[in-house]
Amino acid sequence: MKKTLTLKISISGVRGVVGDSLTPQLASHFAQAFGTYLNGGKVLVGQDPRISGVMVKNAVFSGLLSVGCQPVDLGICPIPSFLYLTKESEGKGGIVVTASHNPDDWNGLKFISEEGLYLNPSQTEEFLDIYHQGEFSMVKADKYKAILSEEDPTMPHFHKLLAYLDVHPIREKKFKVVADCCRGAGAKLLPKFLKSLGCHVILVNEKIDSARPHHHEPTVSNITHLCHEVRAQKADIGFAQDADADRLAIVDEKGRALGEELTLALAMNHVLAGKPGPVVTNLSTTRALDDLARRYGVPIFRTKIGEIHVVQELLRQKGIIGGEGNGGVIYPEIHPCRDSFAAMGLVLEAMARCGKTVSQLRDEIPLYYMMKDKVQGSFQQAYGILRGLTKKYAGQQKISTLDGLKIEYENAWVHIRPSNTEPIIRVIAEAGSPREAQTMMRQFKKEILGLKTWKSS
Amino acid sequence: MKLLKIGISGVRGIVGETITPDLVMDFASAFGTFSDRRKILIGRDTRVSGPMLHTAVLSALSAAGCDVVELGICPTPILQYMVKRLKAGGAVSISAGHNGWDWNALTFINQEGMYLNEFQGEEILDIYHLGRFYKAPYNKLGRIGPKPDFLDEYFRSLIRYLDMERIKKARFKIVIDACNGAGAKMIDLFSKSLHCKLIAVNNELSGFFPHPPEPAPRNATEAASIVKLTGADVGFVLNSDVSRVSLITEEGEPLSEEYTLPLVAGHFLRRKPGPVITTHSTSRMIADVALSHGCPLVRTKVGQSFTVQTLVNEEGSLAGEGSGSIALRDFQPAFDGFLAMGEILETMATSEKKLSELAAELPRYYMFREKIYCPPSKAHSIVSRLKDFFSGEEVSYADGIKLENEDGWIHIRVSVTEPMIRIISESAIQEQAEKRLQKVLNFISQFI
Repeated sequence: MKKTLTLKISISGVRGVVGDSLTPQLASHFAQAFGTYLNGGKVLVGQDPRISGVMVKNAVFSGLLSVGCQPVDLGICPIPSFLYLTKESEGKGGIVVTASHNPDDWNGLKFISEEGLYLNPSQTEEFLDIYHQGEFSMVKADKYKAILSEEDPTMPHFHKLLAYLDVHPIREKKFKVVADCCRGAGAKLLPKFLKSLGCHVILVNEKIDSARPHHHEPTVSNITHLCHEVRAQKADIGFAQDADADRLAIVDEKGRALGEELTLALAMNHVLAGKPGPVVTNLSTTRALDDLARRYGVPIFRTKIGEIHVVQELLRQKGIIGGEGNGGVIYPEIHPCRDSFAAMGLVLEAMARCGKTVSQLRDEIPLYYMMKDKVQGSFQQAYGILRGLTKKYAGQQKISTLDGLKIEYENAWVHIRPSNTEPIIRVIAEAGSPREAQTMMRQFKKEILGLKTWKSS
Repeated sequence: MKLLKIGISGVRGIVGETITPDLVMDFASAFGTFSDRRKILIGRDTRVSGPMLHTAVLSALSAAGCDVVELGICPTPILQYMVKRLKAGGAVSISAGHNGWDWNALTFINQEGMYLNEFQGEEILDIYHLGRFYKAPYNKLGRIGPKPDFLDEYFRSLIRYLDMERIKKARFKIVIDACNGAGAKMIDLFSKSLHCKLIAVNNELSGFFPHPPEPAPRNATEAASIVKLTGADVGFVLNSDVSRVSLITEEGEPLSEEYTLPLVAGHFLRRKPGPVITTHSTSRMIADVALSHGCPLVRTKVGQSFTVQTLVNEEGSLAGEGSGSIALRDFQPAFDGFLAMGEILETMATSEKKLSELAAELPRYYMFREKIYCPPSKAHSIVSRLKDFFSGEEVSYADGIKLENEDGWIHIRVSVTEPMIRIISESAIQEQAEKRLQKVLNFISQFI
């Protein structure tokens, strides 16, 4: 059997395993390539709380300095605050040292453009060409810059949020909120943000630490403690951020986790009620969004998986709101990136304006049941599997091959695609009932495993 | 030609040409692998490229599982002192000493606070060439430890070592040219600790050197004029990591850097006689001083690694080079510019003589130096051709080639820090030294 690959260079940046593929040398090469691509200037550098952050970040500093760039150290900073600051500051780009939701022994680099967006596919291609060619424009000592640092990199983002939210009705409600920062970067802004919205805040996991309290992803099974806390505190709502504070999961006033698919639906329902316009999401996100778009008579656009694809389509279609089913809400009026703070603000705004509880707002969203699973498999195996399935279903059903394979049925769909960041094949199925979803999942996993063994035999 | 010198105790080159994050990380990874997960200190001088090397070293050491203590801008002798003080496994000094501001270098320090010896240096190079570095798993990466108040610790120990009563009483007025190097700002605390009134020159941490950071009369004109103007008792010129010092007399006359060692030795050997270690390239003055105290003289190859290692192995009293560096074994096995300044002040205080008087007591020699730039790949073969030139005469091959007789000596060797051949000729008779140098120069130039 093939050894699992521990390095992945993709549209999402570079990710690798510390102590194996992700060496100081590798990180510095990427920083040199990025600095060469930007042709000098200030480059913002942030990190998530992983232990290896210091090692990787210093390698990035070294690489940037060698090509005449001036690193600005933002330390552990929420991703949306980082992206917004990159746009607002005179920085020519940014590098975030993070491996998002990958396991603890991973780390990686994400590259940010001057506009505060992740590099788009053509920018990534240009930049990776420089990396692969290995010709970096190293400068002589007289062109060297000093490392700068930023005391509170969340301030511009904080002010922008308050300027664009309808703050007064939220403040009047004096919501009681339990918020779980996942011991991550969100803790840098979350208490200040919610307090300035007049909330009574009870914090959970607000101490920044390299060890995650629960699994990185704010999925239903990972936030049961938050549900308990919301019930115990008789709070109006519970919020769970992921470690880099771009995604959000919600717990209602009864202490039920809504599932992270619902975060975007709640925010979208509220935003479209006030200002109808195009919405954008990816292929894997709940069909409830199509129903909402139909309700408000607005077009919905579906993209490949990956934040940057949704963001680009949002900008192209002049969309009002967009995002992903993993709890990533993108509200371009604040900044076109996934932003857990914007999501919190919109949901609180919805509660305040309509005078409804979270569970009442939730009941306005059509109900679907989604199952997510994965099968181990290399990228090569995934290719063979997808070819087999596409051939089989092309005639029978409505399919999309924009990203992997999505098969749509009357009341259900299944999406099969190789992960961008790990050697696995993701399978997502959604249907009107849990049983239907489960049956579909079982059927397609069986088909995948069948094709996988056939490929390798 | 790209300049890169890999020596036993480190690597040195021009930033952006040969000194790149890659090279620095590979060497630091090799040193980290060698250090076997022990704590390592990192210090640097003020060069603007310092942070690039520092972050590269920090990252590589952490990846190799070594905890790191960042001393920031720190003279190499203080870094060496702190290795033992903090019981660290070693240190990396980021400084190119006397080279120009566009250079930089890594020097590796072992757990004794000494430059790596030949065997340790060989081992690092073997690891470097093999390229198989130890990679700690993510939860065993090296962490950054707290930064100690190293200046306070070091200067307290320095004044304990010196005869402070005498120095204090003398109320010296001193001029120090820190050349905006690692000694900048620290000379204030030095002078305060030694109860001297300081007139500081080039005392900025800017990283741009107002003159080449090599202590020598040609770089001492600014400080010399200030000594004269202010009526100071002595002037000192430092290199960028405070491992070398040259002196200026109270008359404002810059002394050759060759004087630092014999002046310190003249006083120190009276207090603590014992073997004196120096290089084949150092003036005969030290030989005369050692002889007058009945102390044996041992000559080694050029470089702190060789001289100080021999000082320790031979249980010598002091070691030094003609470049203005000294090490006293009962203080620490390191070339130490602060100690050299302290010893000179102690000498002046104890003898109650002016520096010009002390210098005049030394025998007078004429020394001439020449350097010939030449690719490192050719340098050694050119030097070995001198065998024919000197045929019939008795020469030593201990470090390059050296002819020594009653008329004086001439030493030709390949530089350990730069791509050049160095020729040094010394004699009690000026023309003798000059003539000999010229003959060798003529011979060599036919091969360049």
